[in-house]
Amino acid sequence: MSTTTVHHHHQSEGNYSKLTTDRVGLWLFLLSESMLFLGLLSARFYLAGTFRPPELNQALGVGITSILLVSSLTMFRSEVAIRHGDQSSFLRHLLITIVLSILFLGGVAYEWSQAFTHFSPNTVFGTIFFSMTGMHALHVLSGIFLMLLIYRNGRSGKYSEHNHWSVEATAKYWHMVDVVWVFFYAALYLV
Amino acid sequence: MKKDLIIAVILWFVFTAVGEYWAFNANMFPIAAAEEAVFLDDAFRLLIILAMPVFTLVLTFLFFSILRYRSKGDPDSDGPPMRTNTPLAAGWLAITTGLAIFVVINPGLKGMAELSANPNADLVIQVTGEQWHWDVSYPQYDLTYQRATQIALPADARVKFELTSTDVIHSLWIPAFRLKMDAVPGRDTSFYVTPTEIVDTEMDSNVRVQCAELCGTGHARMQMAVRIMEPDEFEAWVAEAKAMTMSGDMEGMDMGSSSDSMDGMDNMDSESDNMDGMDSGDGDMDMDTDSGMDMDSGDSDMDMDSGSDDMNMNSDSDG
Amino acid sequence: MRTIIQGLVGGVIAFIIGAALLGIVRLAFGLSFWGGEASLVAGWLAFVIGWLLGVGVWEYWVREWFNLPVKKFEATGTSRYFTFCTDHKVVGIQYLVTFLGLFLLAGLLAMVMRAELMAPGRNYMSGATYNNVMSLHGTIMVFVGVAATVGAFGNYILPIMIGAEDMAFPRLNALSFWFVPPVAILLLASVFSNGYDTGWTGYATLASSTREGVIFYNLAFFTVGFSSILGAVNILTTVIALRAKGMYWGRLPIFVWASLGTAILSLIFTQFIALAMIMSLLDRVAGFSFFDAFAGGDPLLYQNVFWFYSHPAVYVMILPGLGIALEIISVFSRKPLFAYKWAVFGMMGVVVLSALVWAHHMFTSGMDSPLRIPFMITTELISVPTGLVFLTALGTMWGGKLILKTPMLFALAVIFNFLIGGITGIFLSDVPVDIQLQDTFFVVAHFHYTIVGGGIFALFAGIYYWYPKMTGRMYNERQGKIQFWWMFIGFNLTFIPMFWAGLNGMNRRIADYVPDLGNINFFTSMSAFFLGIGFLLFVYNMAVSLKKGEVAADNPWGGYTLEWQTSSPPPLENFDTPPEVVGDPYGYGEPDAKHVIFPAPAATD
Repeated sequence: MSTTTVHHHHQSEGNYSKLTTDRVGLWLFLLSESMLFLGLLSARFYLAGTFRPPELNQALGVGITSILLVSSLTMFRSEVAIRHGDQSSFLRHLLITIVLSILFLGGVAYEWSQAFTHFSPNTVFGTIFFSMTGMHALHVLSGIFLMLLIYRNGRSGKYSEHNHWSVEATAKYWHMVDVVWVFFYAALYLV
Repeated sequence: MKKDLIIAVILWFVFTAVGEYWAFNANMFPIAAAEEAVFLDDAFRLLIILAMPVFTLVLTFLFFSILRYRSKGDPDSDGPPMRTNTPLAAGWLAITTGLAIFVVINPGLKGMAELSANPNADLVIQVTGEQWHWDVSYPQYDLTYQRATQIALPADARVKFELTSTDVIHSLWIPAFRLKMDAVPGRDTSFYVTPTEIVDTEMDSNVRVQCAELCGTGHARMQMAVRIMEPDEFEAWVAEAKAMTMSGDMEGMDMGSSSDSMDGMDNMDSESDNMDGMDSGDGDMDMDTDSGMDMDSGDSDMDMDSGSDDMNMNSDSDG
Repeated sequence: MRTIIQGLVGGVIAFIIGAALLGIVRLAFGLSFWGGEASLVAGWLAFVIGWLLGVGVWEYWVREWFNLPVKKFEATGTSRYFTFCTDHKVVGIQYLVTFLGLFLLAGLLAMVMRAELMAPGRNYMSGATYNNVMSLHGTIMVFVGVAATVGAFGNYILPIMIGAEDMAFPRLNALSFWFVPPVAILLLASVFSNGYDTGWTGYATLASSTREGVIFYNLAFFTVGFSSILGAVNILTTVIALRAKGMYWGRLPIFVWASLGTAILSLIFTQFIALAMIMSLLDRVAGFSFFDAFAGGDPLLYQNVFWFYSHPAVYVMILPGLGIALEIISVFSRKPLFAYKWAVFGMMGVVVLSALVWAHHMFTSGMDSPLRIPFMITTELISVPTGLVFLTALGTMWGGKLILKTPMLFALAVIFNFLIGGITGIFLSDVPVDIQLQDTFFVVAHFHYTIVGGGIFALFAGIYYWYPKMTGRMYNERQGKIQFWWMFIGFNLTFIPMFWAGLNGMNRRIADYVPDLGNINFFTSMSAFFLGIGFLLFVYNMAVSLKKGEVAADNPWGGYTLEWQTSSPPPLENFDTPPEVVGDPYGYGEPDAKHVIFPAPAATD
């Protein structure tokens, strides 16, 4: 409870550290974001029940889902590495994550090109399919942007054992994107 | 403060008594032209009766406190430090919860049950909303009116309105019946009504169909006249209308309204020609060409399609 | 000014880039470069980003992501208010002034509507123009309702009340505000595109077939949602993490609880309005079929998604207002807040229940009939926790020493008006009665009683209450009282008749009505003009007092909450010494009551 560091934007007399405050904010934001996906998920069942067209490319679905799951794992490895101050492992795993997520986006793009011929957006399943995968892909895209950013900063040695909040935040965001996809994948491909 | 409490409670009783006297006796409703209207008015009145003690309680204590405890200038000491009163709060919670549950049951559930009690309709009327007019058909009689200006109804018969829409959401509301239901594209909605009074729009403007869901430029004037007839009069009207359908005679189609019958609404259509001044993009919706709102020219607007596809609408009716 | 010019330049450049990128994609698919509404949407989304980067997000924030040095914030004096300032007090004032301006503007639109409704028939404008005016009035007022009170006082007062130096994320806070100006401009710009006529609800499928102005509405609502969500994250985190030492949950001022509830609602539900707007835009611009019944969609899906946000949004509008009213009633009755825990419980009960009531807006929509029953039950039940607020207000006043100054008058009017709004809500949530009342002026009167009579009156209560704190000057008490009575009488004369009109065949959103309703509407219009004029008095009082008002003491009302324990206006970091909370903030009349102490900074170093 020291007051030595009382200067603007530094809440030293508060109950929590800056890092904890950041974490609370991030979790709240992720909670809010997940409501958007929950809404889309509800719309899927509201409009089309459990209908699923036979033209869905199941193999591709399994493929890109696996890629995304693995990317979550590598992101985790990357975060653990920086927590231990292992710069090279951190950067390596981050790079793998970025490559995997770009692969995932490529898979979605391929799936879209197929989907257009079978269920275009002006059919009800097309509406659901394109909006769900599209909204998710936008989040993947922003995730890739964040990862590229921390990769660039990481290479110049910005993060360390004790200072890697940006990495942690990006990793949590990325995990949310992955968890969302698990639900979306199940709702689109499996029901 | 005990004395204050007694005075306030007495005042509350007095105000409640006055309020309840008003609630029981006030004539606050427009014409009720159907069985449903009568019991929905009763439901409304019941809510006022139930709400009155709550309303007067809060107001009495609010104004009593203001008048009794106002201090002239700044007070030199603070008020008594009363923190809370758990029995009072718990009692308040219990009573308000009880009231809320009571109104759910009556008039809520009771009213809903009453509205849907009898699914056997004597007469089915299909109404389709379209910007900004209604198409009306009587499938039991093979009668179809596009851009209808009027609906004829028999008194003391259970009428089922079946609604849908071809473009945006509309809502068919007849204030004198206290009933409304949205007409939704791609969806079939319905409600039942048993008209009782022999009235029409001319006598009371609340006996009218009014679009109640914002549907664009012509929303305000998307109306139809309503005419409730004696059952035998209605039979005669049907026979006449059918005869005219058979002969294809467009002239002389009369749903019982003379050209000046809709006095109450004259003011509305006299302005209709400028309704969509801004909406130049929708030329085909132009109000002055489709006359859908011209309620006082009912005798010439009743388009009917003898042997047209529109007649097929009745194939799915349960009449 | 530099900030705004930078924002506009950034926005315009980004708009061009956004529209051009879409154009290139369109060309690749064999379409024309300019895609009309689609290009507008792409351009707008880019514009917002460009605008935000321009006003300061780049200089003060994003540069650090790229390992570049960020600018230090330096502006002082009045010019701060036109910059990307991270001081929560500046952001609060920015919110307050911006939304008061929008409130007056939308109020002016209401005057235009009442002019048209003064007599039956077509008086001054076409049905289409009326619908545009009505839609713009509704949309702007909803934005005001959602953001004005919690934006102004949730930012300015709340951090001080809990003893924090600033919000948890000051830059995010500034960002939340700077979403607002482009949204306001966008909404107003809709008139250059023939406006939109869907009301503030923008129902499908009218929204997909009407004039293109409706996309301005969709984009504005979508964008303002970001502001709400980020603001909610900030308020929640601030309350969770930055309370002063000793500020336990049980000691939080009721306004903080109210803001907390509001923030929870914004955080959870705002995503659904964003989703409703995205779906609408996709349907309209990209040929999707969420709501097109003839392609397998369902127009009622829109209403479900829309009201899943928009009913909780009603509590976003009213909760902070109730918090302010209770705060004021306690101070001006010189008594502890009665049944504090019950009031907190009530507010949290409203938050929870508000997630389960949305479909009462759809009782006549053709939804599955038995499904209406659970929504009737939840909606009737939400009146119970709301009712606890009345208990608290009345119990606090009882036996007190009431000081009927302007803030107190407004706070008491909140209780009066909200009582009428609340009780008529019971009528509307009862399915059979609602069938008649749905979409009539009864509803219009009801929600004006809650949102204006409750929320906006509370906003005014808060402005008068905290004016000395925020400006360091006293407002003119006599003018304040005159304005109160003017507004209170004008408001009730305007909206009481609307209940009657609704019951007697007047439906909402109509440019014209049957002649039988002429007298009541004439009376309503006259009352509305009277009400409207009253706001000029308010503007005058506020503007003159800013320069000429008596210099305010630190604690002119003798309040116990923390914002009164610092100077008026507070210093940059709110307190010279960090406060330590030692008791609850409502110990009026208790001999040894103490809310806060300021331990000497002996512990330093």
